[in-house]
Amino acid sequence: MILSLSQTPLPTKKTVCVRITQEPKSWHNIRKTPQKKMFRVELLANTTTHATPGYTYVADRGQAPAKANTAPALGRKRGINNAGKGGDISSRRANAILRHLAELDRENQRDVSIPIPARPAREAGARVSRTKTSSNVRRILVSQKTFRNHIDDEDAAIAAGGGGLSVPVGAAAVGPVIPSRVKVVAATGLAGPTAATPRRSSTPAAASMTPAGAGVKKKRGSTLATVTMPSTPTPAAAAAPAPAPATTPVPATSEANDAKTEDDGENHRHKILKTEHDSDPLLRSFGPTIPSERIMDRLLSEPALSYHASRVGSPLSTQLPRSFCCMCGYWGKIRCKSCHLRTCGLDCYKVHEDSRCGAFF
Amino acid sequence: MGTSKSRASTKAAKSAPAIPTRLVPEKTFVLDNGAYTMKAGWACDPSVPAEEALSHCATIPNAIVKTRDNRIWTGAQLNTHVTDWNEAVFRRPVEKGFIVNWEAQREIWDQTFFEEKATPRNKQLRIAKPEETTLILTEAPNNLPVLQRNTDEMVMEEWGFGGYARCLGPTLNAWCDVNALFGDPLTRSDAEVSPKDCLLVVDSGYSHTTVTPVYKGQPLQRAIRRLDVGGKLLTNYLKEIVSMRQYNMVDETYIMNEVKEAVCFISNDFIHDMEKTWKANRKREDAQSVVVDYVLPDPNANKKGFMRPHDPLLHAKRKKGALSGLSPEVLSEDVLVLGNERFTVPELLFRPSDIGMQQAGIPDMILQSLSVLPPGLHAALLANVLVVGGNSCIPGFMDRLENDLRAITSSECVVRVRRAEDPFRSAWLGGSRFASNREELGKVVITRQEYQEYGSGWATRRFAGLV
Repeated sequence: MILSLSQTPLPTKKTVCVRITQEPKSWHNIRKTPQKKMFRVELLANTTTHATPGYTYVADRGQAPAKANTAPALGRKRGINNAGKGGDISSRRANAILRHLAELDRENQRDVSIPIPARPAREAGARVSRTKTSSNVRRILVSQKTFRNHIDDEDAAIAAGGGGLSVPVGAAAVGPVIPSRVKVVAATGLAGPTAATPRRSSTPAAASMTPAGAGVKKKRGSTLATVTMPSTPTPAAAAAPAPAPATTPVPATSEANDAKTEDDGENHRHKILKTEHDSDPLLRSFGPTIPSERIMDRLLSEPALSYHASRVGSPLSTQLPRSFCCMCGYWGKIRCKSCHLRTCGLDCYKVHEDSRCGAFF
Repeated sequence: MGTSKSRASTKAAKSAPAIPTRLVPEKTFVLDNGAYTMKAGWACDPSVPAEEALSHCATIPNAIVKTRDNRIWTGAQLNTHVTDWNEAVFRRPVEKGFIVNWEAQREIWDQTFFEEKATPRNKQLRIAKPEETTLILTEAPNNLPVLQRNTDEMVMEEWGFGGYARCLGPTLNAWCDVNALFGDPLTRSDAEVSPKDCLLVVDSGYSHTTVTPVYKGQPLQRAIRRLDVGGKLLTNYLKEIVSMRQYNMVDETYIMNEVKEAVCFISNDFIHDMEKTWKANRKREDAQSVVVDYVLPDPNANKKGFMRPHDPLLHAKRKKGALSGLSPEVLSEDVLVLGNERFTVPELLFRPSDIGMQQAGIPDMILQSLSVLPPGLHAALLANVLVVGGNSCIPGFMDRLENDLRAITSSECVVRVRRAEDPFRSAWLGGSRFASNREELGKVVITRQEYQEYGSGWATRRFAGLV
């Protein structure tokens, strides 16, 4: 059970996420009266706790985009999600990681304000002569918003239904308003909120990507292939019959394109040496085809993803997490019993215990 | 199109006889506005070789710095005026790759490009008449609409450029002559400059690392991915480690950046290198190949920092002091001993999970990017991976990326990973060549007139390809 408390109308925006869980049924619990329920309250990892000029209303819809990939996977199913990955990550640890990452993201160690140096009057005079400043320019110049403020504003706008911005460019991909127009082909790696948005699938994008269309579309592709794809087979594949009866019709427009560029393709073909092995069925390649002009136009005309949606997802390949000694950087072989940091051996552990182990997380 | 290009140094644009109906100014200024440095200069003729073209491009730090003695320096002054970098603090107008603070950015631009008087020094960069200039400005992918709009408004209303195009920085790389890099047949020199058909640009810069598939000079937006590990994070991480293990270097961002650039490398055999640097193995022969000493700079003696092989007995000798026969200079210097820090820090580009970040490393990111594209493009993109950005200069980066990518991609694909000849100014060079293709440029540029007629909302939509 996850409960999110959003105390929004405060001058400093602060969203507090709290997880309330029932105590696991240990022998200790079972021995008590079963009616009595113990709850455990945990403060969850949260990136949005910071001072902002003004405040924004953020509807908490469970999964905030800002936390989708930065925050370690937490939640109801974390035990399942992290099953094979040594998922011993507690919310305290997650908080510590977030704090550490924020620390590494700083420009300067201390908060300093560096004013714009005053220019000599002569130069300043010269600049005034340029033009009068417009109201837009003045507004932008006095704005002291940081990137964090801007991204929070955008999150709020997206959460409010894509509104708030006159230009819903970045919001398009995540907002529920405009679903992306082309179907995700192999969305295995597409992480974050984009994967969840509904997409229409009526475009020919998927259809032409089936290997069945290989024989038909080869001619069009060959113009492109000669330069960019060393791995493409000889164009003889075009002459070979399609390996399977084509189950999906090729879009009519791409056929037209084929016809148009046929001559072009022929020219290219003459440049490549012809041998009698070209039609050898054993040498035929079953590589996927180059998408048609129309699909590429569709892909190119898509709007940009939002900032959060474009962040890379967690690794596809399952790598075991590595841990390092917090003192010397060697492998972290033993774990401190009070603070869960790792050290490589007794030497480092003793130093850690004496001086560094604060056991504060 | 066919009109002769006015050279960069000529004073004003001649009114060309064959101007297209839309009045796009002839002279083009290309500005790659990075978070760490700006790469700027006048576009030049594409027929000149790349080295000569790059001589038109200047690299200017994009920061305002306060030094230890409380003096403030801006932009290009950092290269010439600052000698003591200890405890220098930075204010950068570009955050996460996007121009956020325009107050600071205007100051730097004004000082660099809009100086009142033409001097021999600023001749190369001075924009005398913005209204007769086309500006090509780069931005990082997936910018926030608000920030895009701010940028458009500032460029068109504060300086009033005659023509303006805002495009994704990585895509400009496709206009460079990358065929030579990949060993493909060269394009004919007499042909009009055209972009590479398929190119996968990995841009590992100061604030982040992005992967951008570029098709005929345009980005495939859905496949752009970003890893929030960049040069800044690596420097800060090294700083943190060193501060904990050796000296307190918390305030020495600039110096630690230099240390990082001098000593860091990407290991191709992480486990083995780790064993070599284990403290019990330190005295062995093979440890010497990894462990190094870095002598910190001494601004009072006007000495720069440098790296030298590790001397395991140095500490003991210095304890003995003058008796050991060491020169007083050696006795007074401060030395950082760097072992596993050298490769665990840049390792974050490939394994961000080492600091608990739930993001994939660069090779994995490339696969994630490809996974949302039609499979027909995969082979073409994997065979043309171009790496730009400062992190690509870390020794071992290219080998590691190629090996890792090779290992996780299907064996039918050819994987070719190349670093741009000049990984810093590659996007600028591409922009300069792009500018010479007037037809393509005309498609993306908006003119001052159009801006005044339709406003900034239209301009932002236009650059997003919605109008």
